[in-house]
Amino acid sequence: MEASSARRPLRIVALLLLAAAVALRLSVPSAPAWTSGLILLSAAAIAAVSLSRRATACDGAPRALRRRYTRELLVGMAAYVVVLAGSLVLLRHVEPPALRAMVALLPVAPIALVLRAMVRFIRGVDELQQRIELEAVCIAAACVSLGYMTAGFLQGARVIDVPASAAMLWVFPLVCGSYGVAKAVVARRYR
Amino acid sequence: MKSRVRELREACGWSQAQLGERLDVSRQTINAIETGKYDPSLPLAFRIAREFGEPIESIFLFEDVP
Repeated sequence: MEASSARRPLRIVALLLLAAAVALRLSVPSAPAWTSGLILLSAAAIAAVSLSRRATACDGAPRALRRRYTRELLVGMAAYVVVLAGSLVLLRHVEPPALRAMVALLPVAPIALVLRAMVRFIRGVDELQQRIELEAVCIAAACVSLGYMTAGFLQGARVIDVPASAAMLWVFPLVCGSYGVAKAVVARRYR
Repeated sequence: MKSRVRELREACGWSQAQLGERLDVSRQTINAIETGKYDPSLPLAFRIAREFGEPIESIFLFEDVP
């Protein structure tokens, strides 16, 4: 019962990402198909994690803290989906560069809220959980940096050709995804 | 690091969750300390010692690796 309710937020995030992919496809038909494809892929990955039994087995955070984190995370993600869709629609009608920059940066605010929720969560857990979270963040940051640099070398050698904006946008989601995987691996050591 | 936390906890008749609640840490943390997979911070070690009313060095047994 508790494990199931603890996995619910992940399902909601997966649904929100699914909504974001659909919104992107409908509101900006000119956007490359891979953008919504990648969002769909991440939604599927999060849904898969939420269905796995191990998803919450390593989480020793108190219920009240988890609830606050879930609430803040969901508010941030929901705001992100709405603001992103609005920003993409507005960008089609706005021409002046300064205004375009402002509109393009609107989705940064809800993502900052999500980051704030993550930091507040890590600060609230006990010392072992904090160690697990920080170790997982370090591993995730190292892996994504390594991957980004590897792709940079390949791109420099013209072996691959990834659009720069996509590569930059996917750093944060990739860090979040690898953080989840790293956390499950690190937590096993203390079980 | 080896410790007598499990022995002392069981002597008090507490579950891991109950001891965790008393010390304001999770059940997982108590389990990791008892199995020697995690060494608690100095403040937590002192809180554990105070909870059992024993000196810290009689609960946590330091093994010097040559």
